[in-house]
Amino acid sequence: MRILICIDDTDDLESVGTGELAEMLAATINNRGWGKTYGVTRHQLLVHPDIPYTSHNSSMCFEADMDEQQVKQFIDYAAEFLGSKSAPGSDPGLCVAILDQIASLENLVDFGRKAKIAVLAKDDAYELARELGIHLSEHGGTGQGVIGALAGVGLRITGNDGRFKGKVYMNTTDGLASVREIRGHTKVDMVRSLGGKVLEDHETVLIEEALKFVLLDGKSVLLVRPHEDMVKESLWRPCSKQQLKVY
Amino acid sequence: MWRVNHQGQKEFLGGNNDCQGAAQAAEACLNFTPDDEDEQVANEQVSCYNCRYRRWGKETFVCCK
Repeated sequence: MRILICIDDTDDLESVGTGELAEMLAATINNRGWGKTYGVTRHQLLVHPDIPYTSHNSSMCFEADMDEQQVKQFIDYAAEFLGSKSAPGSDPGLCVAILDQIASLENLVDFGRKAKIAVLAKDDAYELARELGIHLSEHGGTGQGVIGALAGVGLRITGNDGRFKGKVYMNTTDGLASVREIRGHTKVDMVRSLGGKVLEDHETVLIEEALKFVLLDGKSVLLVRPHEDMVKESLWRPCSKQQLKVY
Repeated sequence: MWRVNHQGQKEFLGGNNDCQGAAQAAEACLNFTPDDEDEQVANEQVSCYNCRYRRWGKETFVCCK
């Protein structure tokens, strides 16, 4: 079964970030043989004075393949993990959704999209989770993180929100790599320009630093821009951090 | 580069898109500490936009140090 797991509000200014905790949870699933996990994505939610986020109000979501018995085991484990690993004073929330048992994907996606533009209430999150048959739980503080945790699952389901956690390093001899080589050396599904052009295997990308992927059309995508010099036809370079911040 | 807002917080005057100003401010700051890579949004490595002690708001950020 395809499962989506999202956590939010686990950190403070000095602690380990929420993304790292998400990666630790994913590693536990893999290491204990509970299932197989896929990349962690970061989802930006609304920044607003009425929302008590630490510094950026983002939640972290990942997908897993697990059977139902293992999902129950995982929820017990994650509850204890978040209770003990979250920063004192944080308000951690956990959402675990079995994809084909969600009563309305549309309502969940709506909730995720709303969380990017409006201040939502904890009660709304619990009510929707109950209606849709999704596990939602809080593990300390005010438990406000349940809002972002539920929203993060909704946003991941869209397939068009968020950046993948981490960067991918790729060695090249001359600082250049073809799309075919990039796809062969990384887990990226597609190399695409900001304008939406899907690059072909023979096209070339200048590799100056580690690569960062975003979630688009349900795929992990390396976004690129044309190389300014265009010394070589079809030469591209990865988008900068600043360009990726809207994802 | 900074002002004290009505909540007594140190607020960056450059807004969300003054990369040069945010880099200069961080270069001059003894408290700069890079945030997790996933939360970094400026191309300049040393930038208040990439610091773990900035708290984003709608128009700009406040420095928590």
